[in-house]
Amino acid sequence: MSATTTVSLVGVGGQGILLGAAVLAETASLAGLEVKASEVKGMAQRGGSVLSTVRFGEHVWSPVSPHADVVIATELLEGIRGLGLLGPRGTMVCAATTRITPGSVLRREEDYPDDLTGAAALRGVRLIALDAEGLAREAGTLRAVNVALLGAASAVLPFSEEDWRRGLEAAVPAKILDVNLRAFELGRAAVATQEVES
Amino acid sequence: MERQLFFSGNEAIAHGAVRAGAGFACGYPGTPSTEIIEATAGLRGIHSEWCVNEKVALETAVGASLAGVRTLVTMKHVGLNVAADPFMTLSLTGVNAGLVVISADDPGMHSSQNEQDNRNYARFAKIPMLEPSDSQEAYDFVAEAFALSEEFDTPVMLRTTTRISHGRGQVLPRVPVEVLPRDYARDISKYVMVPQYARQRNRLVLERLEKLRRRAEESPLNVLEAGSSDFGIIASGIAYSYAREAFPKAWFLKLGMSHPLPYAKVTRLYEHVSRVAVVEELDPFFEEQVRALGLPVVGKAAIPADGELDQETIFRALEPYVLRKPPRRRRPVLPPAPRLADPPKPAPGLPVRPPVLCPGCSHRSVFASLRKQKLAPMGDIGCYTLGALPPLLAMDSCLCMGASVGMMAGFNKALGKKAAVGVIGDSTFFHSGITALIDAFYNEVEGMLVILDNRTTAMTGHQGHPGTGLHPDRAQGPTVDIQKLCEGIGVRCVTVDANDHKALDAAVKAEAKAPGLGVIVALAPCVLMTRQVAGEVCVDEERCNLCGLCVDIGCPAIAPGEESIEILDSCTGCGLCVEVCKRKALTLEPKGGGA
Repeated sequence: MSATTTVSLVGVGGQGILLGAAVLAETASLAGLEVKASEVKGMAQRGGSVLSTVRFGEHVWSPVSPHADVVIATELLEGIRGLGLLGPRGTMVCAATTRITPGSVLRREEDYPDDLTGAAALRGVRLIALDAEGLAREAGTLRAVNVALLGAASAVLPFSEEDWRRGLEAAVPAKILDVNLRAFELGRAAVATQEVES
Repeated sequence: MERQLFFSGNEAIAHGAVRAGAGFACGYPGTPSTEIIEATAGLRGIHSEWCVNEKVALETAVGASLAGVRTLVTMKHVGLNVAADPFMTLSLTGVNAGLVVISADDPGMHSSQNEQDNRNYARFAKIPMLEPSDSQEAYDFVAEAFALSEEFDTPVMLRTTTRISHGRGQVLPRVPVEVLPRDYARDISKYVMVPQYARQRNRLVLERLEKLRRRAEESPLNVLEAGSSDFGIIASGIAYSYAREAFPKAWFLKLGMSHPLPYAKVTRLYEHVSRVAVVEELDPFFEEQVRALGLPVVGKAAIPADGELDQETIFRALEPYVLRKPPRRRRPVLPPAPRLADPPKPAPGLPVRPPVLCPGCSHRSVFASLRKQKLAPMGDIGCYTLGALPPLLAMDSCLCMGASVGMMAGFNKALGKKAAVGVIGDSTFFHSGITALIDAFYNEVEGMLVILDNRTTAMTGHQGHPGTGLHPDRAQGPTVDIQKLCEGIGVRCVTVDANDHKALDAAVKAEAKAPGLGVIVALAPCVLMTRQVAGEVCVDEERCNLCGLCVDIGCPAIAPGEESIEILDSCTGCGLCVEVCKRKALTLEPKGGGA
């Protein structure tokens, strides 16, 4: 990784991409790094593809980058699309069981792609695929898919558990903090298990 | 021999427009542009109207152009500030029949609050500009402008100044131009400027500008006039006439088509003379471009940058330079055509995911009702613009905030019937639809406007507006009643529950047949705010034959399954799919009903 780390969060409008990016940005900031972030709103909110980028390091110039070190995807198709952002040493953290079918697929004009594993292997990308929906449900709300994925991504990001906890506290509204802390822990634990298995 | 006429520039433009086959002229009065519409109003074969302001005038003109009629729209320089919103995006959509925008500038501020140089607007919008230097040219250039507009699919600016508009001179009438009718053809990716289409159009604009520059190089409107002294002048418009009188022996590059600048013609002037001056009123518009070619030039260091010029001022300003030792000859550096960004490469084989109207969105039911009336929907900016995308294809145009009303008006005026319907959101109506509705009423438009009132500014995240009275801190302020507002103007108006599909159908059908102008307020709060689930849609798998009628309404909660349609969890039970199903395969079980 270069001196600046780029994390892109991809998904579908309404999936909490912006909140996920806010948690990561707060975490990096509270860890003492410079952070810049960028998101595209507006049209993207109505069920379109959404991309949010967080960059951190000793010194960060640009808030955007055409390449990412880590991509966090809250939806399978967007995860496969997001592989294009990653270089060979990048990591994809994907909610592999979450599928939101786009209109063209509903109308059978196009096919929903399936093979995340193959596509990731083809690019030489490290893949952390998990049932983030299941973890979020276990934590208490389906809406915590984004934070469960952050928990999983924490395995490859240079922050302590304490940093993450403080980041969550800073970015997540108090009402839903507990359920999000649980989702984060479940995501983090899921990767730890995967690591042991592999 | 034809009788010569003695016309002001404004009269010449009016007669030139009729000669060029223009059938529609509109504008807002403003010195020195006013007399153009006053003159067209007295001519046969052209419909003239005053609009409520310059923005609505331009939008009306765009509607008439789309309908297939050559259209002239007039305003003074500061008026183009008011019309800047449609003006800038019109460059992207282009036109159907030719559209010429008259910008009458007022150097010296005889009758204006500023003396902005509107040549900058032609450059800003990347459209061609013509500048007549007397009444004959004002007459002739109108036809040139219409021809350019249609050939290059662009609005064309015809820029005058006070002395051109109000100056008088002989005009020799010319043979009328034969204009072929241009039918309207719906072209969503050309006229609906949502981001994905606007990006494509913007590339065409940049390519068009380079083609126009090549045209400016060849155009007989840009003339290199030989002189007998070692002194050359670049000028356009009235400044050319002044300079010609001040320096009768000089070489001239006279720019009639003054944007984009013909670089090669400029450098050719330097092959004949060693001293060159740019004579122009107001900004160093040509001067800066000539300097960018690396060529030595005298401009605003000598010629005043404010107020009007005259031959005396120009002579005194430039005489010392004519006598001075010429500057060292330098080789011009022609700027290369600008590079365009690499177009985005979508990942091969992956379905795109454009934004869509939400499940249960009441806009969808309005589009379903409008579709039955076979009217061209002139759209506007908001969530409902998404209705232009497949599979709904429910919107023919989207130019700028508030443009739907004026475009509907111009379109219907040009065709003399209710051919288009305006579709605008509540917040956009408050933004700039009201003035256009006043205009449509005043100009007796046959038309229908549907206001999609979802009680919020939804697209940007549910901000307040005068109809809701909500402030940024969610404090409740006073509210404006849209129906009362419309009725106060004098427009017939009904409010219909947008979720009541049958009532909406009936209202739209009745209004489409009614004479005159009417507004339908299709009222239903945004589903994202109410999060109401009205019921559950059940599928009779025996009856469903997967015909796809319900899929065509573009609801993300409807998916064709293997044997029959499937209704997804995101369904809000709005029931529109139940309405469109011809085989009664879908039924709506009201929430809690039957239990």
